[in-house]
Amino acid sequence: MAWYNWFGIFSLAICLAVCLYHVIRLIKLGMPVEYSGRSGSPVSGIVYSFTSAMNPSVKESASLNLPVYIAGIVYHLGTFIAGILFMTVIAGLSPSGYHLLFFAFFLFISALSGTGILIKRLTDKKLLYISLPDDYISNVLVTFFQASGGVFLLLPGSEPVFMISAGLMMLYLPVGKLRHAIYFFAARFHLGFFYGWRNVWPLHKQKVDERSK
Amino acid sequence: MKEANEKIRKGLEVLGSGEDSKLLSHLNACVRCGLCAKSCIYYLSMKDEKLIPASKVDIVASVYRRYFTFTGRQLPGLVKARDLDDKTVTEMVDLLFGSCTVCGRCVKHCSIGVDIEYVVRKGREMLSVMGYVPSTLQSTVRSALNTGNNMAISHGDFVDTLEWMEEELQDEVDDPEARIPMDEKGKKVMYTLNPREPKFFPISISAMAKVFYAAGESWTLSTRMYDVTNYAYFSCHPDEAAVISRRMYDEVNTLEAGMLVLAECGHGVRSNRWESPNYIKKQFGFEVLSSVELMAKYIREGRIRTDRGALKEKVTLHDPCNLVRGGGIFKDQRYILKQCAEDFVEMTPYGTDNFCCGGGGGQLAMSEYNERRMRIAEIKAEQIRKSGAKVVAAPCHNCIDQLSQINFTYKLNVKVKTLAEIVADSLII
Ligand code: SF4
Ligand code: SF4
Repeated sequence: MAWYNWFGIFSLAICLAVCLYHVIRLIKLGMPVEYSGRSGSPVSGIVYSFTSAMNPSVKESASLNLPVYIAGIVYHLGTFIAGILFMTVIAGLSPSGYHLLFFAFFLFISALSGTGILIKRLTDKKLLYISLPDDYISNVLVTFFQASGGVFLLLPGSEPVFMISAGLMMLYLPVGKLRHAIYFFAARFHLGFFYGWRNVWPLHKQKVDERSK
Repeated sequence: MKEANEKIRKGLEVLGSGEDSKLLSHLNACVRCGLCAKSCIYYLSMKDEKLIPASKVDIVASVYRRYFTFTGRQLPGLVKARDLDDKTVTEMVDLLFGSCTVCGRCVKHCSIGVDIEYVVRKGREMLSVMGYVPSTLQSTVRSALNTGNNMAISHGDFVDTLEWMEEELQDEVDDPEARIPMDEKGKKVMYTLNPREPKFFPISISAMAKVFYAAGESWTLSTRMYDVTNYAYFSCHPDEAAVISRRMYDEVNTLEAGMLVLAECGHGVRSNRWESPNYIKKQFGFEVLSSVELMAKYIREGRIRTDRGALKEKVTLHDPCNLVRGGGIFKDQRYILKQCAEDFVEMTPYGTDNFCCGGGGGQLAMSEYNERRMRIAEIKAEQIRKSGAKVVAAPCHNCIDQLSQINFTYKLNVKVKTLAEIVADSLII
């Protein structure tokens, strides 16, 4: 196995180990003890939190910013595809077939979405205000990871570049905002539990005609 | 120096208490996408980027990163990790107390699911244990702690008001036996009040008394602990909030009441129904219900009858944040209005998407932020104007106060009413 593959495996191991540490810490800390009398269902709240609550029709952050929302989804999908590609390579499989063209195309589109998001971050006054160096670094690393994955699918000789970009991204993941790969789930879980307990989620049908009741 | 360090230690203890995984989860989840901006009344009204919800999360998270993460300790510049120094504290006070009504509207719309309101309240808790609560808010808390109610109404004045309202009730229902019971043991319901009622709107006491009378309820008011509010819920001091919570809990038990019924007060309902058991770390052995739920129940069960055409003017409803987003009470207030009013229209948006009136989060108590409070209220004024309603119903005395000020400032020319008033006026006795 070439050195860059070892670098990829090494980075993956570090990334997984630190992520595991975060997950174990979360599990160990556990849920808040709730003394109030429950009026809804925390389970339904959690399910809702991960499903319908993400629907643009109930979420202004999506509906009022549809292009950014779609770019974000494409960008995340690109990361998953590039991640699968990375796993394929370290498993010693060499991707082949016509469908690779599709995936390469998708990765270029997702990298483009990432670039668009970066440009927005650099030009939008409010995003500039809230951004940290970490945000730019995270974006550049992920975007480059996706783009190099796309190139690798078309030019297998570029494997070292892809593996190095993957390794760098994975080494950075646990220390910066890319950690949201873990904390997204934890936050949505807590939110679902909280709103479910109080019968806020699942959202009540916002139409009430009870005159006849 | 020693005192300053002690304050910092106390503040950091809030972030590092490691009680559970909730705070850790929300502090690490924000990706600073900025998509929450348009959900917040402060940003929408003032278009100042420092007011977007993410900034409020980040000022707390930046301190967390500085002291509790590897990156923040080693490379603070990379993640803009901040020391908990005077500059940070000043900004925190302005952002977390002065620029947030803790309405929770942004939470539902956050692209990740960060409980922004919870993080803001944790930030307030840090400031509170460090002694940086705005003095106006702290003096309201102190009044409640020292006198048993946040307006420092004396026992004698309170009893006089109740006796006066009892006479009003007797005239209204034409029954000299109609009563406002005080400190009676063994009743089914112990009812509470927002001190604004005896102080400024005593008529709402007789309105609810009329509803109890019509329902034939077994009820009492306590003259020792009737204050439904808990301003320490806004200052976020856990020990002070626990003292106030425990008094209410003890009083229900002293009076051997079967149920605690909370007056129309958004945060009062939230704090007593949901937060108090957690403040005192005890499950309540009695039922806790808001008067909105109780009135809806009376109507559904046929214990009271209302005239559906009693309120002829077009009426709209303001959803108090703590009742709806923070407490899951959504249908009952609508059901009640439809039983009393001919023409009910929703505001746009409404329910869990409704905008805060601007008076929440303790803003009404913090006069130093009055100008901001009335500026952000423009959104609510527009919502009301667009609804075309002549009456605004609001099941919260704090909201009623703010809405009355909005009515005056933005020349809306509407009437602002509690649900108890509307129900009392519609009763068929
Ligand atoms: S929408 Fe949520 S994740 Fe995005 S900046 Fe606002 S708080 Fe952070
Ligand atoms: S809780 Fe309300 S006021 Fe505070 S940041 Fe969120 S939307 Fe704005």
